[in-house]
Amino acid sequence: MEQEELTTGYIFDIQGFSVHDGPGCRTLIFFKGCSLECAWCSNPEGISFYPEPLYRNSKCTLDEHCINACKHGAISIAKNETCDHLNFRRDICAKCNTYDCASACCSDALKIGGYKVSVDDLYNRIHRDRQYWGEGGGITLTGGEPFAQPEFAFNFLKHCYEAYIHTAVETCGNVAWSHYKKALPYIDWIFFDLKTLDESRGDLLTYSRSPSARPHDLLSASPPDRLSGYTPISNILENARRIAQEFPGRLIFRLPVIPGFNDDAENINNTASFIRSTGRKEVNLLPLHHLGREKYNLLDKQYYTNNFNIPANGNLENIAQQFKSLGITCYIGSETPF
Amino acid sequence: MSSDIQTPVNYYGSEPGREVTSRETKRQPTPRANEARELYFEAKSSVSMEFPYWYTRRWEQLEGEIPIIRRAEALKSGFEHLTPVIFPGELLSMGKASYLRGSYPMPWLSEAFFMAAEDKLYKEAQESGKLTADTFTTMGKGGGNVTKSEGMVISIAGKFGLRVEEMPIMLEVARKWKDKSVDDIGHKYEQLVPGYSEKEALMRSVICMFDSGYTLPQGREVMNYYYPLQYGIDGIIKNCEDALADVAGYPDMDRLYFYKAVILMLQGIKHWIQNYADEAKFLASLEQNGKQKTEYLEMAERLNWISSSPPRSFHDSLQILWLFHVAVLNEDAISGLSPGRVGQVLYPFWQRDMANGTIDRARSLELLECMRVKFTEIDCFASMGVVGGVLSGNTFNNLCLGGLLKDGTAAANELEMLILEAGITCDTPQPTLSMLYDEKLPEEFLLKGVECTKIGTGYPAWVNNQVAMEFLVGNYSHEGMNLEEARAWAIGGCLETSPGSWMPLKIDDVIHWIPGGSAPATSVGVHFLNLPKILEVVLFDGIDMRTGQRIFPSHGYHLESYNELWQAFKDYFSRACHVLTLTNNIQHDAWRKIAPSLVNSMLKPDCLKKGKDIGQMGCRYNTTFNIESCGTANLVNSLSSLKQNVYSEKNYTLEDYRKAILANFGYKTAQETGSYSLIDQLPTADYVLWQKIHRQSLDAPKFGNDISFVDAIMKDWEDWFCEMTHNYRSLYDQPMYACQISVSTHGPMGAVTMAGPDGRLSGTTFSDGSVSAYPGTDKNGPYALFNSATCWNHAQSQNSQLNMKIHPSVVKGREGSRKFLELIRAYLRKGGFHVQFNIVDSRMLKQAQADPEKFRSLLVRVAGFTQYWVELGKQIQDEVISRTEYEEIK
Repeated sequence: MEQEELTTGYIFDIQGFSVHDGPGCRTLIFFKGCSLECAWCSNPEGISFYPEPLYRNSKCTLDEHCINACKHGAISIAKNETCDHLNFRRDICAKCNTYDCASACCSDALKIGGYKVSVDDLYNRIHRDRQYWGEGGGITLTGGEPFAQPEFAFNFLKHCYEAYIHTAVETCGNVAWSHYKKALPYIDWIFFDLKTLDESRGDLLTYSRSPSARPHDLLSASPPDRLSGYTPISNILENARRIAQEFPGRLIFRLPVIPGFNDDAENINNTASFIRSTGRKEVNLLPLHHLGREKYNLLDKQYYTNNFNIPANGNLENIAQQFKSLGITCYIGSETPF
Repeated sequence: MSSDIQTPVNYYGSEPGREVTSRETKRQPTPRANEARELYFEAKSSVSMEFPYWYTRRWEQLEGEIPIIRRAEALKSGFEHLTPVIFPGELLSMGKASYLRGSYPMPWLSEAFFMAAEDKLYKEAQESGKLTADTFTTMGKGGGNVTKSEGMVISIAGKFGLRVEEMPIMLEVARKWKDKSVDDIGHKYEQLVPGYSEKEALMRSVICMFDSGYTLPQGREVMNYYYPLQYGIDGIIKNCEDALADVAGYPDMDRLYFYKAVILMLQGIKHWIQNYADEAKFLASLEQNGKQKTEYLEMAERLNWISSSPPRSFHDSLQILWLFHVAVLNEDAISGLSPGRVGQVLYPFWQRDMANGTIDRARSLELLECMRVKFTEIDCFASMGVVGGVLSGNTFNNLCLGGLLKDGTAAANELEMLILEAGITCDTPQPTLSMLYDEKLPEEFLLKGVECTKIGTGYPAWVNNQVAMEFLVGNYSHEGMNLEEARAWAIGGCLETSPGSWMPLKIDDVIHWIPGGSAPATSVGVHFLNLPKILEVVLFDGIDMRTGQRIFPSHGYHLESYNELWQAFKDYFSRACHVLTLTNNIQHDAWRKIAPSLVNSMLKPDCLKKGKDIGQMGCRYNTTFNIESCGTANLVNSLSSLKQNVYSEKNYTLEDYRKAILANFGYKTAQETGSYSLIDQLPTADYVLWQKIHRQSLDAPKFGNDISFVDAIMKDWEDWFCEMTHNYRSLYDQPMYACQISVSTHGPMGAVTMAGPDGRLSGTTFSDGSVSAYPGTDKNGPYALFNSATCWNHAQSQNSQLNMKIHPSVVKGREGSRKFLELIRAYLRKGGFHVQFNIVDSRMLKQAQADPEKFRSLLVRVAGFTQYWVELGKQIQDEVISRTEYEEIK
């Protein structure tokens, strides 16, 4: 069992020809499971650690094929004033490994998000893309939080690095230092999220878990450092400092611009000072968007991102100016020189 | 069915999802080219009877004359009587007919199809099954198409306008050709082929789309302008006179008549040019504006000069190239006449002018832009099925860039950089551009190509120089093709690899080896075989269930194993190739006897040297006949589904599939819904009965996802198909080869094909090209698609075709350009032959479909060509919209 944990993990997608998450053309691997649960997350299917049903109500014909196929009695029809739909006991689903419901579905309404894969299989899969990356390209681990599956991530990164593949990771920073420490020698490039420096706002990073707990949140799937009431910011900042010191490769901080949460002058100022204090000098602004909305429906999750507006272009320019005036090189969105 | 939102979103959401992303690059042409293009937008496709009238009149006068002389005199008379029309601001003059978008019918090829529906001739044609393709083709409803008669203009074939007073002339001229045209004579004799009735059944069922010999008997080939550029018209006439004197009275007398015919034809062309010169002079005499007056006088002087002599300048050389291009188009119904590697052919002239200081870059760009508008004005008169169904109104004048020189070094030059620039500043469908990608080409040249592709018009398409050379050496070595000569190739038409040769252009005592076409038309032979329909007929043991008619005799298999199914498919496919090869050979024989090519023969090496026209194998290379396929991905996906669901997992029997196909999986037909895209189809009440088999069919492994189960089927098909074509021999007794481009036939061919075991619904459009995935089924991204596409060796086939749609945000900016080049290069390095892109947001296309008038100038790439959106038929519009769009955000 322990051996398996080292060499297998859960991912939910592989995307070839990604051109915005690292140098050159890349293949992205989306890891399942996250140590944060930000209110504006655009990949909510990356939060839970296990495969889960993605259910599209608009396509469902309520023919009950899936209900009959499920051996665990996890699916039922919920009567509703506007329209009937299926209800999933997602705590049960998380323990499933056969996914008979999705195979039985005839109407394209039910898919399973996420699957188990071994390091070798994953390597063989991405290896086939190798000749397409060209100069400078490679792989980027994203998710989810890649280091929420630390052994799997480590083994995969090591395997790739030793095969001369350029490796990049995109991380939220809320990871035990030892996991980073072990993997750093096998990483060429890091994107590190600095969502806010303000301890008092930390609850928004664990937001969707706190207010009204839903069944799947009660899963023991959560790692120990995702305890309720825990504020991850000091841990994130400490990791940032240490990576900046010990990591010889290129480290680019990323700031998802969430209006009203972290786009105020004070936070930008503090972020810039912090980045300078680490000895690094690059930041990439990622404007909030609402493109993940549909996926919340598929997961039967409440969509909080609407509470935040999409930043105006002028606003982004201002933030970029502010960073530049403080000596930090700032890239907006996909306008990066790599 | 493809809008899964399972794709993870990375954080680039700077474009809000509901807004349409516009194309990145937008530049303007010079005012002169802009005015010419505006004039073009106003112009309607128009036909004139001038040329066919004079041609026919002279032809009739010379009854009893040697046929090739009769033909030459008829062409001469046609050229001499074309009314010259010069438009203000033109730098290059002359056109097919006396309209801006002028063309004319060529009744000597086929007289029946443009007759009114009630005409007896038309009915006869319909009864023999020839017009079925027209019935299933939708023509674009906007732009310059004259789709209905209005006022004094009659609509012909759903596209062309004819002045009402010329209608009686058209009918009268057409009647003169009854029983004498290539179509009629060919038809008379093709019936002598044993099993002919099978051919008619194939045409009626649209398993085969078109006859070859009289529809577009020439084209899909690369022109060669060496002789007029080197010798001028008088020089060629002199050479012919000398050659004629050498052969007169000696055996093989056909040479005598050929030289005489070329001389006559050239005299006609000379006269035609001089008429234009006179017109320019006349316009100058009326012109008040001093600048325009000077331009007319310069034009008159230039035309007079080149009516006899070789070019003195780049401008002269471009005018010569253009006028001979038009001259070839005027001798036959032709699509896909490619000017070839223009930037390399004309480079010596341009280089000299630049050195002398008689031209600068700005003027060069203006000239090249004017050339683009001129090529765009070319119309091809053919029936709606041919013009709409195959060509989408496009004429495929493919201009190639890059590749290698005779000595094997990179061929890119500064003039080609300017041609790319003109393609960016003056975006028009013609000439479409193709980049002959080779590892030796300089990076800045390739990036300039990327910059041009990024404007979203789809050109240049990217083709693999080395794969093409391997194909040519492999298929033409018995005619003397070698590595050095293979380097002279170019694309003829939309994507037909065509052999070329190096010609020694001597200027100021220096020899420049220029590349040019050296073979006759390709994409002649078996014109598009509907692969999914053949599988359908296999399942129903020889019967076309759409019409209930028997196409083939029973195949005699119980289809109890996958191998039996595959064998039955191969048997039927081979039967179709056999009878169609023979009947089309007869049609082409009628063509070469009745309407032998003279202008094209004069231009192509080695016709003048041998004293033989193209129809007598005068060209250096003659192995150009091919067998064309359509619907490859649908065939492969269908076989994959049957292999999995019937033979391997045994979820269903073939009988279950037959029932499901007849029930269209419980859906309405595409004709009922009015959309030809799978995503828009509507279920009937019976849907639930079929939903399980339909789902499992859709879920069976699909080509384009790097899944070995289905890619192995693709490879089996390709290896077999490419090899078996060599068993059939062309009119010129050469082995044939595979040609895998769909052009626009995947629309009408899908329209006649019932639902497929792949889950495709009845009447919906097939996937395009030959290695494009079916829209929406390539779910693993472009790298997986590339792996699937290159599971077989593309050098076995004349071509392969991959069309991709990329969202503008992915390739934005300088970095985007570099990464886009990485993507293209990666596919070609892997052995892909061709890839082309639509850089466009599909929501923009939907807006354009709803509101065409606002999008008059929107260009999109279809399958080997670029065309104005509004001039595409709805089947093809739907297919382009539904192609999987590669983007990082959804």
